[in-house]
Amino acid sequence: MSGTQLPFEHKMSAHCETGTLSSQLAFHGMELSEALIFGIGCGIFFGYFNNKRFAFPTFIVRSKPGQIRKNLTKRLGIKFETETFKTPQQAQEKLDALLAKGIPPATQVDFFFMDYLPQYLRVHINVHFINVVGKSEGGDYLISDCYYPKIVELAKESLQKGRFAGGSMAPEGFLFYPTFIPKEFDFEKAVRKGIKKACFNMLKIPIPFLGIKGMRKFANHITEWTKLAIDAEDLSHQVSKINILLEDQGTGGAGFRFMYATFLKQAAEILKQPELVDFSKRMMDNGDKWREISLMAARMGRNRDLSVEKLREVGALIHERANVEERFFKELAKVVK
Amino acid sequence: MDDTKDLKLQIKEMIVATLNLTDVNPADILDDQPLFSGENVITLDSIDGIELIMAIQREFNVRLDDQNLARNILNTVDTMAEFITSNQAS
Repeated sequence: MSGTQLPFEHKMSAHCETGTLSSQLAFHGMELSEALIFGIGCGIFFGYFNNKRFAFPTFIVRSKPGQIRKNLTKRLGIKFETETFKTPQQAQEKLDALLAKGIPPATQVDFFFMDYLPQYLRVHINVHFINVVGKSEGGDYLISDCYYPKIVELAKESLQKGRFAGGSMAPEGFLFYPTFIPKEFDFEKAVRKGIKKACFNMLKIPIPFLGIKGMRKFANHITEWTKLAIDAEDLSHQVSKINILLEDQGTGGAGFRFMYATFLKQAAEILKQPELVDFSKRMMDNGDKWREISLMAARMGRNRDLSVEKLREVGALIHERANVEERFFKELAKVVK
Repeated sequence: MDDTKDLKLQIKEMIVATLNLTDVNPADILDDQPLFSGENVITLDSIDGIELIMAIQREFNVRLDDQNLARNILNTVDTMAEFITSNQAS
């Protein structure tokens, strides 16, 4: 069998979902930056989860996977074909059929099976997105993964395992690709709506663990972690995870706050509102402070410095972020009407 | 000493001071060898990486806000110097 590679432009990016969307749109002739996709798609968020569904409390710093794509459809009119599959065979057949038609779809995988990445980076995360852009002569797949510097070959068995990994948020072979891109867009309206929705999500969702309220819940609850952890090793692992959730896993650093700052800078031009440049700078500074929390947690985990007092210090810093972000989004909502 | 050599030494001194590597002579750190994979006189981990990102911002006033790029930029003293030079100039 001879290999085929579609003329897909590979790009590295900070976050897999926005990066994959950006590359998919570019393949179909639409250039939209990762930051704009993140902002219009209203990716910025916060939530703290402490319930029976989770073995240990955890938090999120972005909207749920797939929501950014759905918001792009809503705000820009871009339509995507999406599909999940009951069997790996059906999923592979559909993938091959699309490639044969010249369509390089994006697909959801468990990050762990992307064995072109160094082993130390590979952890089980079921919501990693990659583009499949062709096949090799041996029948393996050519992958454009925004976390890897170039298009790379992945064994078909590894791709299959990744697409059909089990567990929470199992991919079920999910794939998507754009089917309709309007010729004209009202970017101004889309950006404005994205910002307004972000302000609503951070300030006004009436659920006590989401948005700014979620940050405060996290800040108040973190001292309880000493009682919830199985032992010191477990607590060390959980505290270290604060760093991983904020800095790794494709956040672009500081829990997506830097990416949102970049979006606001671009929004200033689109909306012709130069005052948003100042908001962008403030969000960058806010990101720096989240990064300090991240570093503090990482050091605590590494040094097993896990007293209640120390966790209270982390909680106080998170409270500060909640106060700063509450003020920020209230003022942003007033500026972008 | 030209500017680049001077910058590289500054970077090495920053690494040693930031990570409190009391037993390392900055001049011994090799310019072109990876800092994270055991091929240099020091071996750093991901937490050290964040410390260095913040130190670069503090000392050279250059922000490194993309974690994916960070992995490449922090790879060696050479790549850090290149990043600092190009971003200070822009």
